[in-house]
Order: sequence, then structure tokens, then C-alpha cells
Amino acid sequence: MKVTLIKYNAGNTGSVTASLNRLGVTPVISDDPETIISSDKVIFPGVGEAGSAMNCLKEKNLVEVIRNLKQPVLGICLGMQLMCSFSEEGNTDGLSIFEEKVKLFPKLAKVPHVGWNAVSGLKTPLFEGIRENEHFYFVHSFYAEKGKSSISETDYILNFASALQKKNFYGVQFHPEKSGVTGSRLLSNFLNL
Amino acid sequence: MEIIPAIDIINGKCVRLTQGDYSKKTIYSDDPVEMAIKMESMGFNRLHLVDLDGAAAGKIVNLNVLKAISQKTSLIIDFGGGIKSTEDALLALESGASMITAGSIAVNNKPLVKEWIRMFGADKIILGADVQNREIMINGWKKPTGIDLFDFLEEYLKTGIRKVICTDIARDGMMSGTAEKLYTEILKKIPGIELIASGGVSSETEIVKLEKMGLSGAIIGKAFYEGKINFKNNLTKRIIPCLDIKNGRTVKGINFLNLVDAGDPVEMGKLYSREGADELVFLDITATNENRKTLVSLVKRIAENLDIPFTVGGGISSVQDVDMLLCAGADKVSINSAAVRDPEIITTLAKKFGSQCVVVAIDTKNSGGKWNVYTHGGTRETELETVRWAKEINSRGGGEILLTSMNNDGTKNGFACDITAKVSESVGIPVIASGGAGKKEHFLEVFRKGKADAALAASVFHFGEISLIDLKRYLAASGLQIRHCEGKTVAL
Repeated sequence: MKVTLIKYNAGNTGSVTASLNRLGVTPVISDDPETIISSDKVIFPGVGEAGSAMNCLKEKNLVEVIRNLKQPVLGICLGMQLMCSFSEEGNTDGLSIFEEKVKLFPKLAKVPHVGWNAVSGLKTPLFEGIRENEHFYFVHSFYAEKGKSSISETDYILNFASALQKKNFYGVQFHPEKSGVTGSRLLSNFLNL
Repeated sequence: MEIIPAIDIINGKCVRLTQGDYSKKTIYSDDPVEMAIKMESMGFNRLHLVDLDGAAAGKIVNLNVLKAISQKTSLIIDFGGGIKSTEDALLALESGASMITAGSIAVNNKPLVKEWIRMFGADKIILGADVQNREIMINGWKKPTGIDLFDFLEEYLKTGIRKVICTDIARDGMMSGTAEKLYTEILKKIPGIELIASGGVSSETEIVKLEKMGLSGAIIGKAFYEGKINFKNNLTKRIIPCLDIKNGRTVKGINFLNLVDAGDPVEMGKLYSREGADELVFLDITATNENRKTLVSLVKRIAENLDIPFTVGGGISSVQDVDMLLCAGADKVSINSAAVRDPEIITTLAKKFGSQCVVVAIDTKNSGGKWNVYTHGGTRETELETVRWAKEINSRGGGEILLTSMNNDGTKNGFACDITAKVSESVGIPVIASGGAGKKEHFLEVFRKGKADAALAASVFHFGEISLIDLKRYLAASGLQIRHCEGKTVAL
């Protein structure tokens, strides 16, 4: 199976690669449209700032490439947020794959939201074998509002969408690559889609 | 913004009035102390305590309630109602109130309130501005004064007072929304004010709106008691074993029989991960340039094998060090002495790599009642005061604080809950408590009293004195949010 991790300025590819390796998959890390389009699965990781990340995707001419992918795509953390329609971080438009918007957490508790939190309302085969309220590892200050693409939710200050899905596109706010057995199960589910 | 639940006391009971009318009273609990304990367990840090008996009598009546709440909880309390003399003000502050609220008295006896500001400091006084159509009302909200709210605020802001609770009387107890327009106007006209909204706060959405407007607090009364406001927070408290590394090997007597190689940090890390560790910290205690290479290759191996987050620390002093460790696969790095020597490094690292991977460790020691910061493995005292340093770390973009109390470290008598709580409440980033863990109860204590977000320990885990599985079961049974230690997920 050919798995490609999209390479751009906000890609945190090390731990995702390690985690895929543990599942017996060696991913390709690339920003070449041909390589991305011809993969069986595409992972869109991300740690960084939304505005500059979007600019980088534009410079690399990857916006339309990603939007038009037909194979299963998994956005992780910032990757998921960039797949939304808009982000308050850098007030930037996103890839608009999901209609949901990304907002800054109101500072009614510590921000960023760091640590293990429960994920519930699980939908789609991405969560196959994972029970309600299992914990995943989160690190983020911005969240996606719940909307029609939500496939899981989490409570921190607000009830927000911790995973989104539309057609072949999936996005998770948490880091499956850092979420122990539960996280690797989710990654393995994605590889099996 | 802080959400501040209110307890009003009549005849020793916990009540709510509607628009300040003593005849429209609902009793919510016979025991205000129990109520305060409940509020603390729900995650609140603050309490607005009003002695309505005292307000009617013109002197403090329910001092015993204040005392009991301050003894049984760690809530930061502001106390008001019936404080009309310096003796009463002093009594309230000595009985556990962190601040006193001055309402009618601030109109009736300005010289007295100004004397309190001189005696106790402006940060101990909250100005209570109760208004009806922008006019200040006093004596249980019944008496109009003809004083315009803005004149009143300007006069007191000149005295150094910053904190103001502004209650819109018509909205109080009505749960019909807050005086948003008025608050916006106050914030615009009076810069530097720390405005606390009161009256009509009725939903989470409204609180989010107030936070965005720039209020520093919101008092919730009836909406809290009627369960209308229910901020959910399922974020779990983290347990973090710490492994000391020397020349790429774990040190300290490690007592596990079922390990292939107990000296191998990777084997140890995997074992702790299986037992439910939420994160790991690897501390390089040799930290010389030669050992750096060994450390980097170890970090690579840890990253390949471990599927939970881990932090690497020990002698990290440059951007290059951090770059190398993060590239090798560390999720976070922990810096200590280097940050004290040059705080700018925190800002640089946060900008370059993101706050989420910058943990700043503070070694602190209490001597003569002062908690000062120490560096170089705790061997050098600095002039830095711990809470002030923590705030600076926060404002420079540090992502987490790892706070070790040198007084407690190695004693096994428990964590330093006092300083941990002070630091945790002063910053908006997570605080990891370290030093002093000896038994399970100590962890519960540092999460409850110490307001820690995570707790770190080494020897109690290494020597098998506390098993991670038992500890997490115990904490979960005590009512804390804890990540399941026995994974329910079906591994493939």
C-alpha cells in the first residue's frame, strides 16, 4: 500500500511516520502532486500556524490537488483545521472541504487544551473497534465547531468537533500517532478504509 | 476570564434573591460550606461570598461560614455584606477572605474605603457598583444616590482600585441576559478596569460572549444553582513517570523483573506506557556535549518505539539543542537554567517550534517564607520569585511549567500543594507538579488542593512502591477525570 504524507511547512511527519512504521507501513513524504494523487492513502499532518500553513500550500500549488483527491485522506490536528472553511488563526480561508469553521477557545480554562480527553459520539469505520469515551491526546488552541461533518465530539470549555468526515475526507483534532493503542487502532482503521 | 459562583447567606443558609428583594428568596442549601466544597470539586477556583444577614445588620454576621469555607477549600474568596468598619474589614481578611467587596460603604464613607486601600492595598478591595439605569444604588439596592456610575468608577480608579463588580439590579436573578451594552461602554471609557459582570448571566453562550468582550470575570448565581451553566471539561489529569538517563542508560535502582533490560530507557518507557503512563519525561543527568550524540540517538529510538508523548530535558541551552532533539522525535523539550539565564530563549523557541513543545522547568525552594527559583540542578539560588517567573514564562510563550519543590523532592511526604496552586492559578498554561510523591493520596492532593494539571514522579514508580495501574484506579474512584488505564480498544 502506498501511503503519502503531505510535506509542507507545518508537517510534523516524524511521529506519524514512526507510528505507521509500527503498523508495518513505510510512508512516502512528498509535496509532489503526482506522488500524492497516485497514493492509496494520503495523510495530511500539521503542527503550526494556520495562516502561514495555508500560504505554503498555495505556494506549492497543493490547494486544488488536495481538494480533488479521491482516495481516503486523513487530516491530523492543524491538517484537519485547514480542511475546514475558515480559521480564526490568522483569519484565513481553509481548503473548504468541510463547511465547519475553526475558532479560538474562549479563555475560560487553560488554553491550549493539552492532554488526554474523551472522544464520544463516534461515527464511521474510522472508529471501528474503539469504544465511546476512549481517550486521545490533544494539543490545540483552536477548535472546529460542531456541524454536519462531525463524526465525534469532545468537551473542553465547549462541546466541539474532535473528528470530521465528508466523502473520502477524514480529519481528527487529536494526535492518533501519540494516543497509544487507541490511536494506532484509528490509524490502522484509516489504512483499511 | 474567571467564572465566579456566588453564595449569599441568610440565616446561615445558602439563598438567592430576585432583584435584591429579601421577600423573593429561594433557599438552595442549608449548608453554604458544603456548597462551597461542591463548587471547588466542580473545578471553580473563586467564590463570591455575600453575608446578607450582615448587610441587614450593618456588621459581619456569618464570619464562621467564611472561616469554615476558607479552611475546607482552596477557593479564593471575596467577601462582602455588612463590612462597615476597619475592624470588620480586618476580621474578614484574617478569616480567609482574599478580598473584600465595598458597595454602599464606598458611597457612604469614602474616607474609610480610601483608608482600607492604604492599609490593605488596592488589590484587596473590590468595588461593588450596583446600578439601575447607570445610577449607583445603595443600602440593599433600595436607595438611589443620584451618583452616575461613570463618575463613581473614575473616582475610585484614581485610588488604585482595579477590580469592579458591576451589578445590573434589574437583571439580577432574572436569568434574562447581562448588561452587555453597559459593560462594553465601561470597558471602552475606563481602560485598565478589571470588570466583573454580575446580574443575569444565564448561559454558557453568554459567558463566552462576555469573555470575548474583555470582562475579567462573571458572577453566576441562580443560573448555577438551577444547573443552567454547566461547562464540561473531560480533560484528564496526567500521570508522568520520569526517567533519569546517564550515557544513554536509565539510572536509579529500577526494580522490575519482567524487563528484558531495565537499564534500557526504551524498554522502561514501553513498560510504563503499557501500564497507563500518560506521558514520559527523560532527563539527561550527564548533559555534556559528548553525551548529546548518545542522547539524540536514544531519542530517535524512543520515538520509534513509544506511542505516547514524551519530553526530553537536562542541560538544554541552545536553539540548536532543541532543534536536534525535536528532529530526533521528541514531542517536547524541557529547559531550566538556560531560561533563567536568558528568558529570551523561551520566546525564541516558542516562535520557532511552537509553544506546545516548550516545557519550562522551575526548581523552587522555600526559605524564610519566600519561594525562590534555583538553577543548576538546584545548587544556585536566584533572586527570582517563583510565581513572578511562572507568569513571565507564560507571557513569553512557554507551553507548560514543570514545577519541582526542592523542599519536598525525595521526602515522600507529598507534593508542595501551596506553591503549586499559586503557580497554577497565576498562569494560563498547564502546570506539572513534581517532588514529594510517596503514596497515592499525595497525587489526589496535588490535583485537588494543588490545582496541578499533571503530576510527575520517579522513584515511587521505579521501585514499584506505587503501581501506575493502582494509582489511576484510585484517582478515578476518587472522582477525578483519569484516562482509562485498562485500554478498552481492541488492538489489531
